[in-house]
Amino acid sequence: MRKFKCSICGYVYDESVGIPEKGIAPGTKWEDIPDDFTCPMCGAPKNLFELIDEAAPSATVSINDDAVHADNTEDLKELSPGEISAICSNLARGCEKQRLTAEMEAFRKIADYFKSKAVAESGGTLDDIAKMLDDDLTNRLPAANVAAKADADRGALRSLIWSEKVSMMMKTLLDRFAKEGDKMLENTNIYVCDICGFIYIGETPPEICPVCKVPKFQIIQVERR
Amino acid sequence: MPAYRNIRLCSKDCLCLYVCPTGATDTENSIIDVTKCIPGCMACVNACPSGAISMVPGKYPPQQPKTEAVVAAQRALELSKVQQEQMANAIVVSSDSAVTRQFAAAIAKSNLRMAEDILRESGYMLPQSDKVRELLEAMLDNTAPDFPKDAVELLLNQL
Repeated sequence: MRKFKCSICGYVYDESVGIPEKGIAPGTKWEDIPDDFTCPMCGAPKNLFELIDEAAPSATVSINDDAVHADNTEDLKELSPGEISAICSNLARGCEKQRLTAEMEAFRKIADYFKSKAVAESGGTLDDIAKMLDDDLTNRLPAANVAAKADADRGALRSLIWSEKVSMMMKTLLDRFAKEGDKMLENTNIYVCDICGFIYIGETPPEICPVCKVPKFQIIQVERR
Repeated sequence: MPAYRNIRLCSKDCLCLYVCPTGATDTENSIIDVTKCIPGCMACVNACPSGAISMVPGKYPPQQPKTEAVVAAQRALELSKVQQEQMANAIVVSSDSAVTRQFAAAIAKSNLRMAEDILRESGYMLPQSDKVRELLEAMLDNTAPDFPKDAVELLLNQL
């Protein structure tokens, strides 16, 4: 009997236990579970589960060296308005935590100003977003992980783990939306974790965020307008 | 270092009220009166059975050093997230379908949260850090009529 782990939230499917409450009897082999199975904890699809191989050495990262060099030598241009806006909106949240109300409002004002100056470079369809996201997952994220590991930069590694999981889930949803279109969301709700950005589709949000583990009051519904 | 009450945790046990030497915790709006609070006193923090009161630090630790290699790699990723956010926001404005707009709004917000988090870990975590001051100082040159220069000046004076 084998075990499979969800790469997004860490939920473990144990063949010997099954998921009786979902109609999956104990002893059900992984390959006998339908392809439309999703993680009961976070909604990740079956293909994001990995076999837990207890004998295997810990996973090693192999990445395209050219990609690392391309990213590291990329011209460090001035920060774009969108980036300054993101820095300042996050500093506003930081000031809120430090109970600095006037400073929080000042950072919000600056963030809003730069947000109004930030416009999408290309027209941009959901398909274009999916392509950039693919590139994040295959190049930019592994390159950043290698750099952060080399420096034992724990803070950077922590944020990269979250953004890798959130990106993988987003990619899955973009792929589903490309196939199913508006039907994907017509009769259900969509939520975004206000801390890490994890996107969840379902009637009610999970008790805790499957990625960053904050309680559900921080997982905010996105309304249909 | 004044005390702060987390209203989410406060279960109105009101022990803070009995131990506070100055009455700083005795307020209608549940917010501790910092003008009465004695910095470093800790009486209410130690008395609260709900663990709802903590001290706001007067000083924050310096920003940890970040190497150029890490910052450059984070930059490439964060810039991509910011661009995806902007593309998604453009779809929110232009799409005819309410469901597509809703989905794009979720994508935009998710990208913003990721970008913010990566930027936070690339040297912009604390509002009081040198890197933030440099960023604000550079903004003083902005002469656009709609630019909120007063906000930048307030931050440079107070942080």
